[in-house]
Amino acid sequence: MKRLMMMLTITGLLFTAGCGNSEKTIQAASNPASGEEQEEAGDSDESGETPAAQTEKGYLFESEGVKISVDADVKPVIDRLGEADSYFEAASCAFEGLDKTYTYAGFRIETYPEKDKDLTACIILTDDSVSTPEGVCIGNSVEELKEAYGEASSEEPGMLVYEKEGMKLCFIVDGDEISSIEYRSSVLEAE
Amino acid sequence: MNRLMKKNRLVKILISAAVVLTSLYLLQRLLMPKYVSDIVEGALIAEYYEEEKDHDVIFIGDCEVYENFSPAVLWEEYGINSYIRGSAQQLIWQSYYLLEDTLRYETPEVVIFNVLALQYNEPQREAYNRMTLEGMEWSMAKVHAIQASLTEKEHFLDYVFPILRYHSRWSELTGEDVEYMFQTKPVSHNGYYMRVDVKPAQNVPEGKILPDYRFGDTAWEYMERITKLCRDKGIRLILVKAPSLYPYWYEEWEEQIEAYAKKEDLLYLNFLELQEETGIDFRTDTYDGGLHLNLSGAEKITRWLGNVLVQEAGLLDRRGEEPLTTLWEEKLAAYEAEKQDQYKALEAEQAADP
Repeated sequence: MKRLMMMLTITGLLFTAGCGNSEKTIQAASNPASGEEQEEAGDSDESGETPAAQTEKGYLFESEGVKISVDADVKPVIDRLGEADSYFEAASCAFEGLDKTYTYAGFRIETYPEKDKDLTACIILTDDSVSTPEGVCIGNSVEELKEAYGEASSEEPGMLVYEKEGMKLCFIVDGDEISSIEYRSSVLEAE
Repeated sequence: MNRLMKKNRLVKILISAAVVLTSLYLLQRLLMPKYVSDIVEGALIAEYYEEEKDHDVIFIGDCEVYENFSPAVLWEEYGINSYIRGSAQQLIWQSYYLLEDTLRYETPEVVIFNVLALQYNEPQREAYNRMTLEGMEWSMAKVHAIQASLTEKEHFLDYVFPILRYHSRWSELTGEDVEYMFQTKPVSHNGYYMRVDVKPAQNVPEGKILPDYRFGDTAWEYMERITKLCRDKGIRLILVKAPSLYPYWYEEWEEQIEAYAKKEDLLYLNFLELQEETGIDFRTDTYDGGLHLNLSGAEKITRWLGNVLVQEAGLLDRRGEEPLTTLWEEKLAAYEAEKQDQYKALEAEQAADP
């Protein structure tokens, strides 16, 4: 009996070894963003807000004096930018919450749900009426891009990527010309 | 005496091991998600194994199959017995291994594959992987499906012993975890996930510019393996693109699929281009703004598809065949009952919030 109790105790200890908090479970990951990557970014504070939702991160986009960062709460941004020209929302397959798209002149903001907030998943520049704070816009050449940003962190077919503080600024190029610019969160990449 | 003591000791060890293993098994059953009330899509794959396996048509693919086609309509109007082996964000290698898995039990006349999955060339998210892979019964198909799907942070052993992954779920357990510990309730109608509510499609964004529109090598490899497997087994493979407006289906993707279908002499139906023929109206036939069809939309395109299956694939009307007909009477009753329940719930919701 003593041996059985010992085996059960040892099994129990092994079973709970390395046990993280319950948020790591799949069921708790009720949206695609709540994975270990977010946890690695830091624990929630007492208010329940993730650091990502509170701070600016990496390269920022700016429109009419409003700074927009990926992985930040989108509500104050939308409040300051005003009503979007167009709004679309889509439920993630099999997950709770909505992915939202706010379209403004020259750019659009896409969000992902995180607890009771919508965080910015990406900012996509859609025409040359807007540019990055570093002065690069759609239609610029790769040479002009490199003058502004230096060498890319990485290059993929048709895309130059600049990484900073866990986010990516992506320039999609068609030949020598920039055809699209995206500020991307890394949180939603493969977990 | 010494031998007797040794024997007693061995018995004690065996009993102890059995108690430990049984405890771990029961804990695992308790802790694994049940997908009964929330995220029911996680239960779809496992439901297939409870079925009589004598299907004429098997659908494989992501949410664009299990939310857009209704096997009940194929039976009721054409006498075609079909099943949807769909799951959320089902990746193409998962579709391939689910097909292999299905062929362990039956060989359908037709396999219908939804081509949206070709957009992914690499494993995506663990949560989606789990919803497809955990429901599969163990076989080499499951082993290979897991190996092909693992993201960087996942481990094969976590699928063999899910308790390793779910051990921290103890604080989230509900009554359902106990109630459905060994047997869950059905959540689909032959793999179809029913929704009757309506949310018209509007402001659907254009697709963003991609750096490279070519489908990846891995995606193509599995597309070819699906084609070959069907051909080897004498199964007619039909490619479809469901009429979902979002995620965006690029013209460049369409061209690649059309070229592939032509090269392999496969029938390819792009329901995005068949809205007039099928009668789909995105003001009334979608429940989530154009991503998925509601019941009305699913029944419309399935009705159109049924005619194609009869005309092009020569599928026969099996109504009247027993025990299939009796089985389908029960299935149609359950289908009708859920339909009525959902309409009632919707009316009540609308009455409460006009």
